[in-house]
Amino acid sequence: MWGMTSGALTSLGYPIVEHTLDNGLRVISSPDHIAPSVAVNIWYDVGSRDEEQGRTGFAHLFEHVMFQGSAHVASGQHIALLQAAGAVVNATTWFDRTNYFETLPTGGLDLALWLEADRMATLLDALTQENLDNQREVVKEEKRQRYDNVPYGDVMELLNTLTFPPDHPYGHTTIGSMEDLDAATLEDVHGFFRRHYVPNNAILSIVGDVEADDAFERAETYFGHLPAGPKPPKPQAGPLEPLSGMPRAEASDKVPAEAVYFSWRLPARGGQDFDALDLAFSILGHGQTSRLHKQLVRGTEHAEGTGASTMGLIGGNSFGFSYARARDGVSPEQLEQEMVDLIDQLLSDGPTDEELRRAKAQFERHWLHELARVDSRADVLGEYATLHGDPNLINSRIADITAVDHGDIQSVMEQWLRPDQRATLIYRQEAS
Amino acid sequence: MREFLPRPTIAPAVVWAFPAPQRARLSNDIELMLFDLPGQHVISAHLVLDVPLNAEPRDIEGVATICARTLDEGTLRHNGEEFAELLETEGAGFGVDLSLSGTQIILDVPASHLDRALELFAEAVTQPSLADRDVNRHVQLRLAEIEQAHANPAHAASIAFRAAVFEEVKRAARMNGGEPETVSQVTPDTVGAFHLDHFGPAGATLILAGDFADDPIAVAERSLGSWRNDDQQRVTIEDPTPGPQRTLLIDRPGAVQADVRFGSFGIDRLDPRWAAISIASYAMGGAFLSRLNAVLREEKGYTYGVRMNFGPLRTGGSFAVQGSFRTEVVADALEISRDLIKVGSAPFTSQEVNDAVAFFAGVSPLRYATAEGVADQAATQALAGLPDDYVDRSLALLRSVTPEAATEAYSSVVHPDELTLVVVGDAERLADPIRALGFTDLEVRAPAPDQTKP
Repeated sequence: MWGMTSGALTSLGYPIVEHTLDNGLRVISSPDHIAPSVAVNIWYDVGSRDEEQGRTGFAHLFEHVMFQGSAHVASGQHIALLQAAGAVVNATTWFDRTNYFETLPTGGLDLALWLEADRMATLLDALTQENLDNQREVVKEEKRQRYDNVPYGDVMELLNTLTFPPDHPYGHTTIGSMEDLDAATLEDVHGFFRRHYVPNNAILSIVGDVEADDAFERAETYFGHLPAGPKPPKPQAGPLEPLSGMPRAEASDKVPAEAVYFSWRLPARGGQDFDALDLAFSILGHGQTSRLHKQLVRGTEHAEGTGASTMGLIGGNSFGFSYARARDGVSPEQLEQEMVDLIDQLLSDGPTDEELRRAKAQFERHWLHELARVDSRADVLGEYATLHGDPNLINSRIADITAVDHGDIQSVMEQWLRPDQRATLIYRQEAS
Repeated sequence: MREFLPRPTIAPAVVWAFPAPQRARLSNDIELMLFDLPGQHVISAHLVLDVPLNAEPRDIEGVATICARTLDEGTLRHNGEEFAELLETEGAGFGVDLSLSGTQIILDVPASHLDRALELFAEAVTQPSLADRDVNRHVQLRLAEIEQAHANPAHAASIAFRAAVFEEVKRAARMNGGEPETVSQVTPDTVGAFHLDHFGPAGATLILAGDFADDPIAVAERSLGSWRNDDQQRVTIEDPTPGPQRTLLIDRPGAVQADVRFGSFGIDRLDPRWAAISIASYAMGGAFLSRLNAVLREEKGYTYGVRMNFGPLRTGGSFAVQGSFRTEVVADALEISRDLIKVGSAPFTSQEVNDAVAFFAGVSPLRYATAEGVADQAATQALAGLPDDYVDRSLALLRSVTPEAATEAYSSVVHPDELTLVVVGDAERLADPIRALGFTDLEVRAPAPDQTKP
């Protein structure tokens, strides 16, 4: 499956074949006969960054509406028919994308493609006020369950606000606000569908127990007749400079432990700068041997948990995060200072050889896991094709990461992680 | 535009079978199960130890969890951080999983690093330092974790539900990781003693799955074959028994939603009704358009999702309708649920049964297509005392379930008027509406007290 050079994996050899239909739908095939199953995955190049002012949360609400039926499919039947064909079905919305996917026994491939094509072609034929209202309520329940009714549930929103200007495409969360969800109308759904849900704004990945020619032929059968639309413009957000002015916010709630969060603006994903920062964040806060864990959980025992990670985004900038939850009797300010010291130390000394080797080894295992399953492989193919234009990049990710050296990491940290380039959120316990 | 194509039919599934393991024994009698899976370059290793949680002394429950979590904090050969650093340098991931029926120690590692990583893995299992400082820290972290769990309404509901559904004298009634009053009594000495008494090769199974670079039997023998523990004690697993029916409302003042668990004591995989109950529970609360979700989510918009879930233990188990609903509609959602789960006048249909069988049969090949999926299932089977061909047998049994059998099995287990109800939500707004539904035995409780602080 891969070539070996001097003990390290360089390039993986997953087969990737591409074909674009006349209407602009890009189809990617990666045959794999490990199981009699096939993964169908559509990435639409639309996410919460494409939302208009006053309509936050709309891309995600729209995703729910996509399951409410189309011209030839009754409400709820999309999932019901696929599950009855032995499928695992779902969809997600994020800043840069909305993806719809199902994995099922190969004999159900035609059904899956037919269902996806029917809603891409005829969603609006079945749309009713009742369906929209119902899914608006479901989404509000999702927001309550995942954000409003759990400890620290508003952290993402608070960090978004600290890190990006309010009118920036990444200045609001994907779940959006209750008020904006309430404001969404049928006209909004019509407009959003016509603008973004066109074949030339989508990537269809078909991975698993089907040969490439067969996959392309079936894609042509079900999607070939759909008309292309104008390619929707992407939000024009040029790369922002690193954060300045050290923005700071406080929150308080009935949480079990006080906590400190940092966030950073980082460069957009898709280049060595981002990859080098990704390794730096891994060294800082991923796993038991990371600097934060070693020092704050194991060493001073001031934290009950720590972490750091990047969130790669394509529209000019990405996010970086770090956090620590305080043990009893430790003030957030004390913890904050210890975190700052650790980050500054990494900045000044750079990672050790061992740290860099471990971070790369952990990435390699994570990436091999990701590609081992046909469903997650289909998803990363859609991701790399949509965001970077080239699905073949998945075969060279390990080589890309392997190529990053100490100097690369120190120079990007110097550019993006200087002490005055972070935002800080302090989460306090509300006195009960 | 041309006429839209008619809905395609589904081509019949090809015959599929769960991979058969090759079995061997290490020289110390550890049972080895090997799954050679070409193309799976991350090896998944599970060491399943026959240490049921009822092996824990009652006053220090949680000791098994603290012991397992401290294994990779240093060994007699590689102290402290050095151990974890060595393991991570091999690209390995190390984890533990504790269930009532046994402990799993888990390793994921690229195939070319298996030999060295398994050697380190064996060190952690057989010669951990279990140093005072590390044990004490893990006790404190576990106490903090319990606080976090109680602060999360879904976790709080599950904790209260298991405490009610199982007889309180049984280990199953309490969290696998232990409750605050016993975790706080765990000391380095008790952890060391637990390791000495219960960790050993007798009754252990090592599962290895993936595309092996070297002979896996030799690799396993080198790492774990010489492990001895002459003092190892074997403990028989305890059978859980049901607790009395209860109706509990755990107050969460101001909560915008309430988390609900509505269920009772259940059955295990070896019960002759298991296949039928699996079908029934999928139709009632597993499928997207299950009876519960179709009404409460898709028709009413009361919830992001509601399920009916059966959780089998080695013997017995539990089941519950579970979901979270905005405070205003909780009583209505409960009333609807209570009606929907009665199947007397609405027995399961052949359509429901066929859809459930197709779903279970269809998802299996994918679920078990990776080393991780296969090893995980093999470990579940080892812990539950199930045969190697369990997956194939159970799919065959599912195919033989009739609508009548599904309805009958369901009715024999689910007695809608005798269920335990746990609600975690705003008591001021919920207590009266819930009582008005006829739950007159409602018991309102304050949020879990913070037992870990003076």
